[in-house]
Amino acid sequence: MRPASFEYHRATSLEHALELLGEFGENGRPIAGGQSLVPMMNFRLARPGHLVDINRLPLDAIEIAGPVLRIGALTRHIAYFDNPWIARHFPAFLDAVHYIGHPTIRRNGSIGGSISHADPTAELPAISVLYDADIVARSVTGERRIKAQEFFLSAYVTALEPGEMVVAVEFPIPPAASTGSFIELGERSGDFATASIGISLEHGGGKIVRAAMVCCGADLFPMRAPEVEDFLVGKPLVNPSGAEAGCIFAASIDPVDDHIASADYRRGLIAELTHRAIEAACTRALDKS
Amino acid sequence: MKADRPKHIGARVQRFEDTRLLSGSARYIDDIRLPDMLHLSFVRADTAHANIVEIDTSALADLEYATWVFTGKDTAGLSMKAHQDYPEMQYSEQPLLAEGKVRFVGEPVAVVLAEDAYRAEDAAELVFVDYETLPVIGTMAQARDSSLPSLFDGWASNVIVQRQMKGGDLEAAKAAAAHVIKRTYSTQRQAGVPMECRGVVASYDHADRVLTVWSSTQMPHLVRTYISEELDLPESRIRVVAPDVGGGFGVKGQVFGDEVLVAWLAMKTGRPVKWIEDRREHLIASIHARDHQHTLEAYVSADGRLLGLKADITVDNGAYSTFPFTSAGEPGMVGKVLPGPYDFQAYEATFRAVATNKCAIGTYRGVARPSAVFSQERLMDDIAKELGMDPFDFRLKNIIRQFPYKNVLGFSYDEGSYAQSLEQMQALLAEDVTEAAASRSSSTKRVGVGIACFIEQTAHGTPDFTRRRVPIETGYIAARVEMSPDGEVTIDLGLQNHGQGLETTMAQVAADALGVNPENVYVRHGDTLTTPYSVGTWGSRGGALGGGAVHLASLKLAAKLKTIAAHLLQAKPDEIELANGNAYVRDAVQRFIPIRKLARAALRNVDQLPEGMQPGLEAEQRQDGPKDGTYSNAVHAAVVEIDIPTGKMKLRRFVVVEDCGTILNPLVVDGQVRGGVVQGIGSAMFEHFIYDAECQPLTTSFADYLMPLAPEIPNIEVHHIETPTPLTPLGAKGLGEGGAIGPAAAIANAVANALDVGVSCTPLNTNAIWKLSQHLRGAA
Repeated sequence: MRPASFEYHRATSLEHALELLGEFGENGRPIAGGQSLVPMMNFRLARPGHLVDINRLPLDAIEIAGPVLRIGALTRHIAYFDNPWIARHFPAFLDAVHYIGHPTIRRNGSIGGSISHADPTAELPAISVLYDADIVARSVTGERRIKAQEFFLSAYVTALEPGEMVVAVEFPIPPAASTGSFIELGERSGDFATASIGISLEHGGGKIVRAAMVCCGADLFPMRAPEVEDFLVGKPLVNPSGAEAGCIFAASIDPVDDHIASADYRRGLIAELTHRAIEAACTRALDKS
Repeated sequence: MKADRPKHIGARVQRFEDTRLLSGSARYIDDIRLPDMLHLSFVRADTAHANIVEIDTSALADLEYATWVFTGKDTAGLSMKAHQDYPEMQYSEQPLLAEGKVRFVGEPVAVVLAEDAYRAEDAAELVFVDYETLPVIGTMAQARDSSLPSLFDGWASNVIVQRQMKGGDLEAAKAAAAHVIKRTYSTQRQAGVPMECRGVVASYDHADRVLTVWSSTQMPHLVRTYISEELDLPESRIRVVAPDVGGGFGVKGQVFGDEVLVAWLAMKTGRPVKWIEDRREHLIASIHARDHQHTLEAYVSADGRLLGLKADITVDNGAYSTFPFTSAGEPGMVGKVLPGPYDFQAYEATFRAVATNKCAIGTYRGVARPSAVFSQERLMDDIAKELGMDPFDFRLKNIIRQFPYKNVLGFSYDEGSYAQSLEQMQALLAEDVTEAAASRSSSTKRVGVGIACFIEQTAHGTPDFTRRRVPIETGYIAARVEMSPDGEVTIDLGLQNHGQGLETTMAQVAADALGVNPENVYVRHGDTLTTPYSVGTWGSRGGALGGGAVHLASLKLAAKLKTIAAHLLQAKPDEIELANGNAYVRDAVQRFIPIRKLARAALRNVDQLPEGMQPGLEAEQRQDGPKDGTYSNAVHAAVVEIDIPTGKMKLRRFVVVEDCGTILNPLVVDGQVRGGVVQGIGSAMFEHFIYDAECQPLTTSFADYLMPLAPEIPNIEVHHIETPTPLTPLGAKGLGEGGAIGPAAAIANAVANALDVGVSCTPLNTNAIWKLSQHLRGAA
């Protein structure tokens, strides 16, 4: 459990980092908090020949940029807990960060790292899919925005190209009459999720106007649930038929089966969490209105 | 006037060793750094059962740095031999490095040495081993199928050992029974997980022909003896040092092949050699524990009296036998302890260990008893349910109340507080029991209460090991107590302290006998150069036997101090009391002399000694365990809350009522109990070492092998009853393991209570609870 040999480079600017990553291509990896990459290296599951340390780059701002909340790639998970914009606009986001790991992970782990690592049950990838975030990736050749739904391809596999690095994640700010929730269940607190469900709702006249739902544990990446999203439109905030929505979704999935949870259990759990997340979101909507 | 005499035994003394341990200044095995040291990396089998066709190390020649590589051909003939002299037991050895065949994933096949640990690991990757895979023996059923090939040449089957113990007339009990209750229970395979993994450093001094071995072990003297026998070196020229050891829990209470191997390599290469085990190695290839299946049949009278018990016990031992407790140890322990705290006189147990292509089973806190108590106490609840009796009432009806009690196998139980602890627990849980009953009407949230009542044979002595024919052979613990001319005390202790608080409790014991403060007692341990020969720290014996040895050695020293004091104070020795650093004449405390002056007289101003007295202030004592040990007892209780739709279980309350005889230090006892309970909670709910059908391990890191974490652990309430035993010098019984023994049973009983189902196995993780509560969701 010692990493294979690698060279360490400290990036002095974003341009410097991109230059190095461009030069190393598939053999280079940016490192921030190292909460996922370092264990992978110690197991020799990842063997980058070059590590580009980006910790000193000024990439940790959380700012409103027009219609989006832009979160710099180096923002540590701990920063969300008392951020007023997260609390006001993205309640499911705030719920979700409470499930992220342990204090050490929260202080060191970054959003860019979590998104790029693409653990299939991690919270921030799920939240970015739920809120239709844009992943802002940059390389020496320029910048591009990738829709979160198109970013996560499989477990630990993303749409990032060699030499490319996540510099920010942009979350479109939902309308005022909206809310959401996120529920996760793992074997122990701070564990990888057995399953999690995030819900984001727009509402009006006591009804759901638009809905988004994300699920971890059903596939090898955080997946949206279009049939539930359609089903929920028009449902009343009081008694939104969450249990039925859970059954509809559970019937459509083929969940992961592993030594922590059988596929049957995951399916049952996902149905129940879907129900609870919808109820929780609707309760919030009612409390707000 | 009477001297004010503080009593240190029983006082809540903060642990002295914590200053070192909690400030980061402890020295562990990885802190041992020697000049010219080579680092070792293992090449381990990645297939569970195979013939080794070829080991190709040629790639190492191309490296730009130096490496040394050794395989089983180099170490041929060196092995771990762990056999118990039963005619029914099939003999096997584990070569230090595999010779011709591998029998589990993780088995050492070759070693690579290099001048730094990273390079050793890089180079080890370049060793290519060509295997011819063989079918695996992966389950107990496969192992008992005599048509399948055996793991070792010359074996008749893969049943390593099968034996029987019985007492009383089981047929008569069966005939008299109104109820026959038969159940099968199983407990999952676990790893034992100390915070610090294992590690060995060895260095050979050619000039003095002295081999020094540092090992993260609980038993330095036994490591010395084994190395001496295997490498044919005199024990006098081997020094084994256990530095600070970051947890052992029994895992480090066996001698490992790597300890011999690293020593051999240091001699072979002429350079110090270091091996630090990583977590993956630890999980797959140190020892495993708990993999049991028990089928029990109880014979019960119409009025709820337990008349007899029949047991069939299988332990999935894995491939090899571990030294010194062997693969016969684990099943034998179950057979021996199943009668437990209940009064019945007909019993028959058939028990066996079977060989599979897995890591060997070894000792881990509780050693077989967590599994035995799981079955015993699940059975008690299942019987009570069948009879429509309350679980407390059924146990109280059958609990042993007269002491000493001779059990069905002839073991003598010294006095305990079995009924009293049950009654105390019943009172503590009254409100939870009411709440649990009320929750029966809910199909979404259930509360359950479960108990486990058990005894634990502790402080095993030489007679017990002789009876078991186990190669540990002896059970005494030695202590040497010495006072220096300044009156300070040194204890050289045959125990190794790896979390037991021995540097504090042993000082308390000596302080009481010698009339000094515990702060003036320096406890040394873990080094065969300074400490008298002993078998080490394991088996819940440190306080009872080590404490006894320190107490008696200190009394010998105190007697000499009193004689000197009497001489100098012109009194009689039996009039002298030692307290507060002074020797007083009883009832005349103005006549006193500081103990340090007595020490000076004994060692420097020897002209002041009584005529004919030899100078010097030291005493030694070896304390063996009583014939049948001494029996601690406890009741554990769990209160669980289960969310039926998700299967999520919350442990709301965990309560312990325990009796370990005389308490040396309540803080230490509480800590031992709580730590054990946390590990028991791990057994009950989280920890599971899983192999697939090809015996490939699936849980090889902490991402997959789930340890109990702090947020899942409730406040553990500990209540003490003190019934001192007449069988040890201080009345202390063993308590190191008890905490880990009860939780699986108590939590399983709480789940059974909450869900109104039978529970036959652990771990009770979320998935398992969800399955067990299926019937309740159906109704919802």
